[in-house]
Amino acid sequence: MILGIETSVDHVGVAVGDYRGIRAHSMLASDRRHAESLTPMIQFVLQQADATMADLSAIAVDVGPGLFTGMRVGIASAASLAWALELPVAPVCSLDALAMNAEWSDNVVAASLDARRGEVYWALYRMRGVGAEPLRLTEPVVSSPEDMAVHLADRGEDIMCVGTGFVRHAELFEDVPWALMAGEPHAFPTAQQVVVLASHRIAADDTVQAGDIAPMYLRAPDAEINWLTREATQ
Amino acid sequence: MTSHVVNESTVVLAIETSCDETAASVVMGGNDILSSIVSSQIEIHARFGGVVPEVASRAHLEALIPVVNAAITEAGILPSRVDVVAATAGPGLIGALLVGVSAAKSLALVWDKPFVGVNHLEAHLYAGLLDDPTLQFPLVVLLVSGGHTMIIEMRGHGDYVIMGRTIDDAAGEAYDKVARYLQLGYPGGPAIDKIAPDGNPHAVEFPRAMMHDGLDVSFSGLKTSVINYVKKNPGVANVDIAASFQAAVVDVLCAKTIKAAQKVGAKGIVLGGGVSANSLLRSEMTTRGAAAGFTVALPSRDMCTDNAAMIAAAAWHRLASDGPTSLSCGAYPNLKLDAVPR
Ligand SMILES: [Zn+2]
Repeated sequence: MILGIETSVDHVGVAVGDYRGIRAHSMLASDRRHAESLTPMIQFVLQQADATMADLSAIAVDVGPGLFTGMRVGIASAASLAWALELPVAPVCSLDALAMNAEWSDNVVAASLDARRGEVYWALYRMRGVGAEPLRLTEPVVSSPEDMAVHLADRGEDIMCVGTGFVRHAELFEDVPWALMAGEPHAFPTAQQVVVLASHRIAADDTVQAGDIAPMYLRAPDAEINWLTREATQ
Repeated sequence: MTSHVVNESTVVLAIETSCDETAASVVMGGNDILSSIVSSQIEIHARFGGVVPEVASRAHLEALIPVVNAAITEAGILPSRVDVVAATAGPGLIGALLVGVSAAKSLALVWDKPFVGVNHLEAHLYAGLLDDPTLQFPLVVLLVSGGHTMIIEMRGHGDYVIMGRTIDDAAGEAYDKVARYLQLGYPGGPAIDKIAPDGNPHAVEFPRAMMHDGLDVSFSGLKTSVINYVKKNPGVANVDIAASFQAAVVDVLCAKTIKAAQKVGAKGIVLGGGVSANSLLRSEMTTRGAAAGFTVALPSRDMCTDNAAMIAAAAWHRLASDGPTSLSCGAYPNLKLDAVPR
């Protein structure tokens, strides 16, 4: 059984299950109190699934892109659990999980999360059926929502748009004929999707060890950006 | 508050990630250090001239598992031997603290062992006791670091009174700012300490602010007068400025700490925090403390700077008096010395 952790957005989510389905899950709009909620939620979800730590065969975690602090709460927890239990880890990209909100779609799917400071994280996908791993058409990037809109328009086809990146910048897509907006209820990745995606990785033996989970920040810390600009202009 | 049975065989695994050191330690019975691993980020932050929170948080996450793993391996125990898992819950950088708290709570959950969220300031007081278990209460502790400058009366375990504190900059902050101005590099404490012995501490008589009022201290004016003096006298050697600046800082810290110890009839004076690794502070406090009739305990330099052994020691005492911390504990960036994380 896989334990899935989702903390890269405003919500905190935990799920346990495997390729056959989800046994139990829980989700909380945490108001960025990820660390406070996560550990008790793991305990609760395991109880609901009538499972113990010993039943787990892998740990799955959303590694971003998303809220830096939230991501680290999830990754530090997943790494510690995996290290103590000597289990493999399946790192899952937040946008891959988010795209699964449109797993039924025949269109190209754009998954985008609000990156704050007027930017969005986004990537494009082609769905391969319910429960299947989405096919990435473009790699996750961070850009202005306007830049993203230009890229999407250039494709010249209808695009299913999911995630907070679109909800937050809805005005940019209001009268655009090609943008099919999934809207608010499908704006977040969930722990259930993290588990489903991880089950594919585990089947493909594509996992990492506890100490090797790489967060997907996509953006350097501010200080580093300032420092690099200063070096470049000197 | 439910107290918890701890004894000399209780093994605590503690994690510290409040600032720029990722540390983990295994301590038995509250004072027997089986391992103490510290992975420093000083080099990572040096180019920025100070600790950058987001950079620190990223580095903590990267170092976490290797450091925890090394602490267990070096202690020569099996993870199943751990009885208690602790982490610094505050004060500190929130994003950095959350890495250690999340990790420790997860380990406590997996192993079904109590979790203790530790107050970092309280832990610094235990650093002195870890190095010298014979110390008797009441103690007066001078806690000086990049973030804190406090004179504390430690009446017993968990019983503290803050007698004096900085009203502006922490001592370590003043060192960093002066060192940056003199272009001596980062961190400022060791940089100034290194060249000061070659200079004349009386070259410039910098002001000793608030020397005769109470036990609070102030370093902002000293920093400003150093900068103004250098502007007006560009020919004066850095070594003399460094020596004179350091003499002023140490003079104030020693005088106030000894005054505090006299006031409460302390059985000893203890140094703690990163700045207490400073060689002039150590030698002056020893000489002047002894002259005033006090035993002065100087924790080893490893115990002065941030480490997880002191976190484990504080956790052992807190578990005995207050019981475990809830698994819904978060991070408390502004935690006060007498506050216990819940
Ligand atoms: Zn400290």
